[in-house]
Amino acid sequence: MTNTAMEAVELGKKFGRRGTWGLRDCTFRLPAGCVCAVVGPNGAGKSTLLSLAAGLEAPTEGALHALGEQPGAVRARVGYVAQDKPLYPQLTVAETLRTGAGLNPARWDADAAEQIVAGGDLDPRSRVRSLSGGQRTRVALALALAKRPELLLLDEPMADLDPLARHELMGLLMTRAAEHGTTVVMSSHVVAELDDVCDHLLLLRDGSVRLDGGTDDLLQSHTVAIGPADAADQPDPHTVVESRRTGRQLTALLRAEAPVPEGWRSEQPSLEELVLAYLRAPQTPAPSAPAETQEAAV
Amino acid sequence: MTTLTPTAPHGRSELLALSGLLVRLHRPALILWVAFVLVMSALLWAVGGPLADASASAWADYEACTSQRCAYDQDAIILYRDAYTYTTLALLAVPAVVAAWAGSSLVGRELESGTARLAWTLGVSPSRWLAAKLALPAAAVAAGTGLLAVFHRLAWSTGQGRIGSAKSWYSTATYYANGPVVVALALAGLAFGALVGLLWRRSLAALGTAPLGLLLLWGGLHLVTPHLWPSVTRNSSPAEFLPGAGINVDQGVVDSSGGRHEFVSGCGQIYDVAPCRAAYDKLDAVGFYHDYHPASHFWPLQLVSTALLLAVAALFALAAFRLLRHRTASTRPEVRTAA
Repeated sequence: MTNTAMEAVELGKKFGRRGTWGLRDCTFRLPAGCVCAVVGPNGAGKSTLLSLAAGLEAPTEGALHALGEQPGAVRARVGYVAQDKPLYPQLTVAETLRTGAGLNPARWDADAAEQIVAGGDLDPRSRVRSLSGGQRTRVALALALAKRPELLLLDEPMADLDPLARHELMGLLMTRAAEHGTTVVMSSHVVAELDDVCDHLLLLRDGSVRLDGGTDDLLQSHTVAIGPADAADQPDPHTVVESRRTGRQLTALLRAEAPVPEGWRSEQPSLEELVLAYLRAPQTPAPSAPAETQEAAV
Repeated sequence: MTTLTPTAPHGRSELLALSGLLVRLHRPALILWVAFVLVMSALLWAVGGPLADASASAWADYEACTSQRCAYDQDAIILYRDAYTYTTLALLAVPAVVAAWAGSSLVGRELESGTARLAWTLGVSPSRWLAAKLALPAAAVAAGTGLLAVFHRLAWSTGQGRIGSAKSWYSTATYYANGPVVVALALAGLAFGALVGLLWRRSLAALGTAPLGLLLLWGGLHLVTPHLWPSVTRNSSPAEFLPGAGINVDQGVVDSSGGRHEFVSGCGQIYDVAPCRAAYDKLDAVGFYHDYHPASHFWPLQLVSTALLLAVAALFALAAFRLLRHRTASTRPEVRTAA
């Protein structure tokens, strides 16, 4: 099981004793070394999934393994950055990094931490409470990355960053991840942000997995078909994930095994189109094909 | 060039870093605590030294006085009494303040702001995080409160027998401030505050409830204290007042066959007034009884109370650990089912 970075079996998390389910019946497997985008609308369960994987909460039902173990048993090997980037406000940046180094003596990569912080025009002596949102993100990322984690969990990591910093940090993150073979699991509700970096997709909606697989496989196993809305020859409704009508023209996302009707134009969807189609069509069951081929995505 | 140490001894340096972080985070509280202990020590020294001496000489002047108009230093007497009262109250406030601090600043704020989760993902397991948060403050609180309790007892003892207004050992505030019970109360406050902080996950909510809970615990202790050690009984004839001074357990009327009755209402210990005498004669009263704890019971009562409180504090801490373990992922190696 060493080639699996994260695995969930019928994972469920309920909030409060009689509360609502944040996650329900989630089953998926992320191959080691992948860069996985966890996408979905607000409240889909992205943050819940990541904090379960970081061992910060216990699942209500089912099981979740990180690096083949219970999340609580592999804290040293997992990095996590929460959405609100909590840091001790009364510490300085240097003290914060020193604390991280002290708590992870065997794994700490001071260079990585300094490189990330240095890019942000940050005075190491300034207190965390005086930092801007983007600067906080840098410090939080530096803490998580300098641990040399084997699994890096990032909850909306780039939300506070300007486009330039976002580009710089994403590049740095990907370089480090590639160097160390780190598995990165990153949540976002902005798909475009992750389009060119992720090779694996986990789409959540209403607390369950709608789509899971390598991005290449997912894109290949879907087709966008465009044709006249009133044509006699329509796509088989069982293969249509979602369709939209613009004037007299119908655009449909089909599963690839379905034949494209005569006279229709077909093209490969972008990741964003794919995600949006699945999000708009909440009733569609996730296809089983990507789950079988996800090994190929490694 | 990286600072990777391949086989750094796991544990000691982490523990050092965790302790360092705790001290750094709570430096203002630590400074305040040390200052409080120092100031209180100085005040208690003054109460037991110069203030007690001045008051004692004023009392000596007062008691030597036989005429209508006397000169004695009343201000010295009042100053001693006030200084003693307020230092005692300040010492007794420690357990509630510790509970409030533990609930809000130590635990509640970290859960509220998410920094606890930061610590847990920096390689500190939740159990270790809580253990450090309980152990280090417990050491500081026990040392400081213990020192002040010793100084309080010294200050109190110098007034005995020479200051008319000096508090007896069983006066409620003095009893609690004079021994290890106040230390155990402070530790129970720490554990209870941590538990409440974990429960509410809110700084302000814990700030409100933790001292309240501690005061309830204290009230409960106060109710059971007389029963924590076998009491002593003394009887008296109806003509005498109730014998024995100390922590009261029970008192009333004894009849000729040894049976016990409550005081007749409105009469109490008054026997030699016609209606009371009639009432007591009707009960066949031969005297009064008093179950109480004499001064020799001070240490047994203090030690049993302390043990009881420490057990309660341990229960609070255990509950806090279990709650945290229940909430966060288990670190126990999992037994995988065959499926």
